[in-house]
Amino acid sequence: MENCRTGVYICMCGTNIAKVIDVEAVREFVSGLPDVMLVRTYKYMCSNPGQEMIVQDIRENNLNRIVVAACSPCMHERTFRSALRKAGINQYLFEMANIREQCSWVHHDQQDATEKAMALTQAAIRRVALHEPLENLSVDMSPATLVIGGGIAGMTAALELAEAGYPVYLVEKTGRLGGNLARVDLTAPYLYSAQDLINERIFRINDNNHIYLHLNSKVTELSGFVGNYTATIETIPVENGHKKEEVKVGNVIVCTGYKEFDASRITHYGYGKLPNVVTSFELETMIRSGKIETREGRIPRYIAIIHCVGSRSLEFHGYCSRVCCMTALKYAHEVKSAIPSCYVSDIYVDMHAFGKGHEDFYRRSSEAKTLFLMYNKNDRPVIRRADEKDDCQMLIEVNECLSGETIEIPADLIVLMVGMEAREDASEVAHLVNISQDKEGWFIESHPKLEPVATTTDGIFIAGTCVAPKDIPDTVAQARATAARILAKVSQGKIEVDALYSEINKEICSGCRLCNKLCPFSAIEFNEKEAYSEVISALCKACGVCVAACPSSAIKGRHFTDAQVMAQLDGLLSPVKYQIEAVTS
Amino acid sequence: MENSKPKLNLAVYWAAACGGCCVSVLDVHEKLFDVVAAANLVFWPIALDVKYSDVEAMPDGFIDVTLFNGAVRNTENEHMARLLRKKSKVLVAYGSCAHLGGIPGLANLSTREEIFKRVYDECESTVNPDQLRPLTVSSVGEGSLTLPEFYNDVRSLGQVTAVDYYLPGCPPQTERLLEVFMAIVSGASLPPAGSVIGASGKAQCDECTRLKSENKQISRFLRPYEIYDDGITCFLEQGVICLGPATRAGCGVRCVKGNAPCRGCYGPLEDVKDPGSRMMSAISSVIDAREAEEIEKIVENLVDPAGTFYRFSIPSAMIRRKVL
Repeated sequence: MENCRTGVYICMCGTNIAKVIDVEAVREFVSGLPDVMLVRTYKYMCSNPGQEMIVQDIRENNLNRIVVAACSPCMHERTFRSALRKAGINQYLFEMANIREQCSWVHHDQQDATEKAMALTQAAIRRVALHEPLENLSVDMSPATLVIGGGIAGMTAALELAEAGYPVYLVEKTGRLGGNLARVDLTAPYLYSAQDLINERIFRINDNNHIYLHLNSKVTELSGFVGNYTATIETIPVENGHKKEEVKVGNVIVCTGYKEFDASRITHYGYGKLPNVVTSFELETMIRSGKIETREGRIPRYIAIIHCVGSRSLEFHGYCSRVCCMTALKYAHEVKSAIPSCYVSDIYVDMHAFGKGHEDFYRRSSEAKTLFLMYNKNDRPVIRRADEKDDCQMLIEVNECLSGETIEIPADLIVLMVGMEAREDASEVAHLVNISQDKEGWFIESHPKLEPVATTTDGIFIAGTCVAPKDIPDTVAQARATAARILAKVSQGKIEVDALYSEINKEICSGCRLCNKLCPFSAIEFNEKEAYSEVISALCKACGVCVAACPSSAIKGRHFTDAQVMAQLDGLLSPVKYQIEAVTS
Repeated sequence: MENSKPKLNLAVYWAAACGGCCVSVLDVHEKLFDVVAAANLVFWPIALDVKYSDVEAMPDGFIDVTLFNGAVRNTENEHMARLLRKKSKVLVAYGSCAHLGGIPGLANLSTREEIFKRVYDECESTVNPDQLRPLTVSSVGEGSLTLPEFYNDVRSLGQVTAVDYYLPGCPPQTERLLEVFMAIVSGASLPPAGSVIGASGKAQCDECTRLKSENKQISRFLRPYEIYDDGITCFLEQGVICLGPATRAGCGVRCVKGNAPCRGCYGPLEDVKDPGSRMMSAISSVIDAREAEEIEKIVENLVDPAGTFYRFSIPSAMIRRKVL
């Protein structure tokens, strides 16, 4: 191996690092270490001048290893790697020492923090000496996309991709497109017809010959990796037989939507027992059929709407379902226009009107003579049958928060605003495409703020209400975002994969098969003929599970070899000493 | 025979060993004649009456090859290890004890004091009312008598002196010894010093003919007597710990062919730093449970983990010994 000529850069991160760590002392300590040719401190290493400094130094001093002691590699590893590339040396001949998150941010004592920064930097210097130049992988990207779910999200994403000229397999479990939105009459707050929104898309989908629509179908198997997935689409068995098709796709969009909360779980609202306690979706059906009436066929004189049924309650779902408040206001409008004489009471916890045009919609609804009553979410309204002498079917007792009084409301029809929840088959889908779910069952995004539609599995995207409750504009925006992400990738034709993956040395592997089922990414395959296991590098995420499990050390994690890790440990545990200089005034 | 090559000088020595390695050398049977035709046996305590002083009198490098078996556990072992190193051109750590520390190395799970207490005070067959202990020097009328000093730590040969080759096994398969010996005699080019010889670069599973599937999940550890071994399925898949996946092949899968799981005497593969933790890491990754309590319950029925995973390797493993 050639001699190491290591350049070390210690970042002050403004004062983030320098206020606790004596960076000059670290510089001095590091200058005395073997292999170190050059050490610099700088205010912001990640800035353009900071990166440029590395590039210059590599060129002028023939450096072949770089260590930057700064923030977390999650933050800037890629930044500095690109500086190495720019200077013409392999980007993996680089190591970061995290002296911010793991040091200056968590320590107050200058002595301890400086010594720790020395140790962390020393560890990085020892490690980088054993780094090997690695080349990223380039794999083909299949241009086709699989879209699971034919609701508004799935349809939008499919059209976006197909209209850009790329094939889409759109798989819908039921016999029709539209999903939950197809059950809705008008949409809040502008009262557009949901049917119009959907139908326009259905026409375009039927017209587009890049979209292969599979109704009454399910994706039953997905194997492969980003750019190269193989999906099995099967029809749900019906009388007209069973079909099975295998398709090759580069990416997958999951937009399987939500299901509504089962109102009968809150026994004391009597849903399922009291004939005129209905859910929001049942009212929606009445509105769409043009007849709002009680079970007995009478026009209701009093309609009460109860919010947060199953939402914002630790007993059921702690979260807010986001769309119910505005939907309830929409019902008030729709009821008033269908039955102008009807009294509408809206019994809510908090009125969440956060979206564009929502607050205005709330104001207009308040003016439309709807009675708003606020209840405490731990003190639900109580429903009871009215007496013969009353002119209504039921009475609702509400401990009204704003007035502080107990108020009794008449009702012929009670509408429960049921929240959204993850579908029961969400875990099946998560397993199928290898993504995670949170404790409520929603799919987890790769980063809640910066990667809202990507997942931790490359090439698997999520959009709409399978991620969390959201309204139509957000769902559509996410669907389009997934399409944009995928278009950016498929238009390249190839995809670059990090050089970090495990490798199995065929000369050592004895074919014991201990590792075969451990890989969370199904990247290990057993070669029956030659009796050894192999890693499909493009599928491997370098988690290291198989490396740790291999009893023969036949599996090596590239960039995380035993020797590299041991060298790092040696550096971390070798003694360092920092003497705070006496301050002379 | 004047035109024949000069004979090699061969020595076999035992340090902290059971004698099995020396017997394995005798197991060459009639091939012993080939050995003797090619080599003079200059020192072999189990078979020849050659004194230590005779060895000391040999010029340095006089012995061509020494097969040193046994671990180093006392001053006598250490003296002989250093002496034979000096007198030998090629020093071979022969067998598991010299290679890794072996069975005597398990003593590193105790201290010298604990061992003495057990042996000289507590042992059921010990009668020692005066609580006598062996002394390294005792004076008698004729002068002083000495005994080797018993160390607190057992070490492998390589931890005491430079070793040219390691020939693993408890004991090494005799065929491997012959192959190595004949290679030396024929003057074939030898691997670089420090190599393991007479063993494969792959683990036992490579040669094992039992059926192996990907289903290695273990929900209960069983000891061999607790299963009806079908004779064809991988031991691990029957719940029995077999060190085969972590152990070099070379023995001819002797134990498994005898329907006993591999105990690991051929030692770890090339890049393994710590054989026991390697296998433990492998085993723990296939424990079929998710909850901590469940896992604990499964692990509880693993009898003697240190003795199972480090049976032959404690002194040379990272853990080296029990913390004092």
